[in-house]
Amino acid sequence: MQAQNGFPLNGPPDKRVQLIAFVHANIQATPNQLFKDATLIVKDGKIEAIQSNDAVIPKGAKIINLNGRFIYPSFIDVFSSYGLNQEKEAKLRSYQQYENNKPGAYAWNDAIHLDRKSVEIFEFEEKKSEQYLASGFGLTLSILPDGIFRGSGVLVLTGKGPAHQLILNSEAATGLSFDKGSSRQDYPGSAMGVVALIRQTYYDANYYTLKKEEVNLSFENFQKHKALPIVFETENKYAALRAAKIGKEFGLSYILKTKGDDYQRIDEIKSTGCQFIIPINFPKPFDVQDPFDAERINLADLKHWEMAPANPAILNAKGIPFAITASGTTNADDFLNNLRKAVKYGLSKEAALTSLTLSPAKMLNIANKVGTLQKGMMANFFISSNDLFEPNAEILDHYTNGNKNAVKAWNNQNMEGVYELDLPELGLVKLAIKNNNTLESYLWTKDTVKVNLTYKSNSLSANIATHKNSDKLIRLEFWVSNTNASQQVTAFNGIAWNSDGVTKSFKGKLITDTPSSKLNKNEDSSVVIGKVLYPFSEFGSNQQPTQNSYLFKGATLWTNEKEGILKDMDVLVSNGKIIAIGKDLKLENAIVVDCKGKHLTNGIIDEHSHIGIYKGVNECTQNITAEVRIGDVINPEDINIYRQLSGGVIACQQLHGSCNPIGGQSSIIKLRWGLGAEDMKFKEAVGFIKFALGENVKQSNWGNETSRYPQTRMGVEQVYYDAFLRAKEYEKKIKENPSLTRRDLELETLVEILNKKRFISCHSYVQSEINMLMKVGDSIGFKVNTFTHILEGYKVADKMKAHGANASTFADWWAYKYEVIDAIPQNAAILNQMGIVTAVNSDDAEMGRRLNQEAAKMVKYGNISEEDAWKMVTLNPAIMLHIDKFTGSIKIGKQADLVLWSDNPLSVYAKAEMTLIDGICYYSIEKDYALRSAIKLERERIIQKMILAKQKGEKTTKHVSAPDIDYHCDTVEEY
Amino acid sequence: MKKLILIIVLIAIKFSGLGQTQTTIIQNGTLHIGNGEVIENGVLVMENGKITFVGNTLKTLYKNAQVVDAKGKHIYPGLIAMNTILGLNEIDAVRATRDYSETGMFNPNVRSLIAYNTDSKILPTATFNGILYAQAVPMGGIISGSSSLMKTQAWNWEDAAIAIDEGVHINWPSLHLSPYSSEDAEKQLKRTEETISKIEAFFVAAQQYEQAIQPEFNARMHAMKNILNGQQTLYIHAEEAKGILNAVNFFKSKFPAVKIALVGATESYLIIDFLKENKVPVILSTLHALPYKKADDVDQPFKTPAQLMAAGIKVILSKEGSWEARNLPFIAGTAAAYGLTKEQALQCITLNAAEVLGVDAKIGSLEKGKDASLVICEGDILDMRTNVISSAYICGEAINLENEQVKLAKKYKGKYGF
Repeated sequence: MQAQNGFPLNGPPDKRVQLIAFVHANIQATPNQLFKDATLIVKDGKIEAIQSNDAVIPKGAKIINLNGRFIYPSFIDVFSSYGLNQEKEAKLRSYQQYENNKPGAYAWNDAIHLDRKSVEIFEFEEKKSEQYLASGFGLTLSILPDGIFRGSGVLVLTGKGPAHQLILNSEAATGLSFDKGSSRQDYPGSAMGVVALIRQTYYDANYYTLKKEEVNLSFENFQKHKALPIVFETENKYAALRAAKIGKEFGLSYILKTKGDDYQRIDEIKSTGCQFIIPINFPKPFDVQDPFDAERINLADLKHWEMAPANPAILNAKGIPFAITASGTTNADDFLNNLRKAVKYGLSKEAALTSLTLSPAKMLNIANKVGTLQKGMMANFFISSNDLFEPNAEILDHYTNGNKNAVKAWNNQNMEGVYELDLPELGLVKLAIKNNNTLESYLWTKDTVKVNLTYKSNSLSANIATHKNSDKLIRLEFWVSNTNASQQVTAFNGIAWNSDGVTKSFKGKLITDTPSSKLNKNEDSSVVIGKVLYPFSEFGSNQQPTQNSYLFKGATLWTNEKEGILKDMDVLVSNGKIIAIGKDLKLENAIVVDCKGKHLTNGIIDEHSHIGIYKGVNECTQNITAEVRIGDVINPEDINIYRQLSGGVIACQQLHGSCNPIGGQSSIIKLRWGLGAEDMKFKEAVGFIKFALGENVKQSNWGNETSRYPQTRMGVEQVYYDAFLRAKEYEKKIKENPSLTRRDLELETLVEILNKKRFISCHSYVQSEINMLMKVGDSIGFKVNTFTHILEGYKVADKMKAHGANASTFADWWAYKYEVIDAIPQNAAILNQMGIVTAVNSDDAEMGRRLNQEAAKMVKYGNISEEDAWKMVTLNPAIMLHIDKFTGSIKIGKQADLVLWSDNPLSVYAKAEMTLIDGICYYSIEKDYALRSAIKLERERIIQKMILAKQKGEKTTKHVSAPDIDYHCDTVEEY
Repeated sequence: MKKLILIIVLIAIKFSGLGQTQTTIIQNGTLHIGNGEVIENGVLVMENGKITFVGNTLKTLYKNAQVVDAKGKHIYPGLIAMNTILGLNEIDAVRATRDYSETGMFNPNVRSLIAYNTDSKILPTATFNGILYAQAVPMGGIISGSSSLMKTQAWNWEDAAIAIDEGVHINWPSLHLSPYSSEDAEKQLKRTEETISKIEAFFVAAQQYEQAIQPEFNARMHAMKNILNGQQTLYIHAEEAKGILNAVNFFKSKFPAVKIALVGATESYLIIDFLKENKVPVILSTLHALPYKKADDVDQPFKTPAQLMAAGIKVILSKEGSWEARNLPFIAGTAAAYGLTKEQALQCITLNAAEVLGVDAKIGSLEKGKDASLVICEGDILDMRTNVISSAYICGEAINLENEQVKLAKKYKGKYGF
């Protein structure tokens, strides 16, 4: 170990020669190159040579005989916070913190640490160093895991030494995440807010390099850092895909750290083209002893327990480049055992080694220096007692930069064998030493007793009971007195402390060098894992549903066209479209559905829904959040998607909540259960955005005092005027000088509204505010496409008609807050009668799956025709969502989004028997019954397996799965 | 519709709340008795507030009787909405209008009927859909208080009450770990155990109070008397199977005299045999709800009533809340779509409820000798499309079906000239 350059020394320097020859070693030079019984020569921190044992060893080399032990290149962990043991300051959160409290000229948001250099706080960290070295990791890329933009990370050696000599690259990569970390600032308050912040920050930082209008220390290094690899931490597979999408927008290919659930969406994961970092902290079995408790665990969690160990193998089989991280494992044993488990579950040893050495080295562009053992490479390697993938192999010494770090005391001599000791009190006893390094041992006297041997400072010590069940002990200290040519220990000398306290010398000698295999446990080597489900949830299928041709015969047809309701009609569906309507239709290979006595309709479209949204339906933290997009956070696994299908729903608008006057952009999806987030989107749909008025916007029912502007309906109006006038100015500026105008995602969205490229769905209740927004729109030049909820619409129906607004309302909700005291269930009927396109919506996953009943209430309360009532949940929402060209009625050429009902769809007794989207059957009663029994079987299989695992001695954890959150307009969560 | 409104106005003028003065004969309609029977083309006579005849053909001649021709219409017993906060709550988000949850953990002595506001704007919207009786149920704490069965139309709470303090409500703790709790499993389970011991301690203390000679007055203990002797019903609110088992076994083994009923009971379908053996009536409240667990059948909430009823368990359907309660008939309708017959579904919101409430001798079915509390509906009361109540009677007296919503609709239709 050298001193740091230029540091004054207290005494003469102690610089030594470093030249070591490891002989009789099995050297894993690269993942696919193993030199058996060879010699490794290390000189001055570098690999000098790998040579055969016969070759000449350089003069003066220290020779270490490894006796068949293994040498591996050090592993590299590219997802680490090693050495960055910074005490997190507890930042106090003030209620509603809108600004960054950090002193200095930094970015506006406290989750942006682009300026941070982890190298500045790096230092050797003893405890973690031990864990890394014992797990095989000699290098880490350390990035302080805090915030969204995490700044640059440092590449370091995990061995002992002054920081000066451990740092290999002070800025080796940069870090990103979706987690705002210690920031107490409100924004971003949702997953979609985080995406928006990342995007805006990229635009801002790029703009800063173009045009420096002011100093912003956060952005100073941005340009320089651009060339570095970017490690992006994500919390699950969909977050990983979300990150990859952001990368695509900005021409960046991230290295994505995932949760290890990649196998659940492996094709999409592959198509990102990204590199991955995966953890191997496989879940422990759950405690499922109590059957009712076991019911609380979701199928996905049960299956993940079973399948997670196969994740590395599945990634590898797909040819996806990945590195394995120790992150999440609790100690070296945990890591190594899980690594072996991954191998047992199908990962080849070669691939395992690649993922720990070559792949991470390539990710950081340092494969020419580290990751393999070849002449000239850094001498980073470790010695393993055995082939590392053998169950009890252990890491003994770990060399970093040629310097030894002792991990586990070991004896070069081979102590394995059966010895005869001549002990006082006991006479001749046999001592069997198994496993040289852990010194597992057995001792035979008359009885067989297990002994714990300790090996320290070249001496062994042990306490032996005088016989089984005796509490009298003989205490021994002994040492090797002779070895043979092959380093096998053949004799011991020692001192014994008798149970009476008297000491006496003793001797021991080798009888046989093959100890009993009594300690070998027979590992069960068979691995059974279930199949991936699409989606990975209850009611998921092993395969994605396929498109078929269908012939619906003899149905009562609710066309939603001028033909009205037709009896005894056939409908032909092919290639996802309705191709014929009539009588006695025929098509070869079409699946014939007998519809006698049944009703066929276009499926239900819910104008106002919050299902299938991940981590936050509201970005509540500012009064305008037009930059956030629900489309970024679609959760295609929300069980409520399936439940809506069972209620005949085929599409919905996923709306942002009603927290702010100008909320986020909505997403229109078709409920293609089983497909991924992007594939759920209604491809032909135009953009929509949520606006909101009234109590939620004023934060009237928040309980605490709030300070966010606006607090009154007066203020709400001003927010709109101000925002749109600024949007107009922005548009002008960006037209005049597109390259030198800061791109503003928020104002850009408002410009889209002004240019009729994006449409408004406005949450609204009382007539004054409805009227207000129409007046603002008229004066500025935008139209309110839809007033949603619109419970007092009936009071201003004439004005709405004049403005050209549509209405989407609740059937009968009222009295839940002050602003809905005048809500009446006759509202929709009056609006309809006024000629306003009117829909009935849910805003609620429960009501969403029986919107047919809600529509039927319009017949009761509003006395409208059944046909009109039905249109309120099908054609009318399609019209207001601008998708009526594609869906919403039964017409030749339209998408086959059909539902077969057991009865008149407005009847309380009607059931959706079959739900088709694009001519694909995503739900049918028949399929549903099959899935029900499949769920029961699969749950039972895994639960029994878990109980078995527990009985075998595996540690279990108590677990309850969180249910999918049922979001409403006013759901606000802590992010 | 215009015609209907006209009738409503006429009836509105007539309503006095002072009792029936004229004999009324309803004829030519379909009588849905409430006990499963149906009489097509039936006749029903109301005299002095009571039903004096139900059948196919009238045998007595009535002078000066008002005759209502119900041809094509359906006559039902007034619906009973159990497990509501109707009358106790006006606007959910406005604290000043909420009167259903007292502070403290053990409140058997607080009485919901005291807070029951007969002038609530919500009550007439329930009546509008055929609900003539509401069980006003207090919420909150462990023991929330006593409930009473109330008419949905009356001058004041005193007149409205027809079963005073008929039961006391207890919220049984969940025995499962919460996925949201920051506490570890052990702590959570310990807390649950503590809560159950507190409940036990409370019941034991109430027993001691009952047996003590001249104990110092204790309002909470005093209110437990009729629970301990089984004169009042103890309504146990519990959703999960494990909690239900725990609660029922608790009372069966420790306080066997207590008369219990289950409320909520979402997971009752998992322990049907147990509930049957113990003869516990079940007031389901989560039919128009999402399945409890992801693995549950998508239609589980809809079919639970049929599963329980098929086993012979007494089932009542309810909808928690205040304004939401008006959807009670459609909840029963949904249950009928999933396994119950329409008449069984009706029974779940009429006679079965009356039995649990101990008022089946008076209301709950269209049977001779019972109160003449009924509704005449244009069609099937359980279906939204046809649930149009043309008239309703409480104790023989026609009641007002007007409500604020109808008035507002009329006013603004007037604005647009409809």
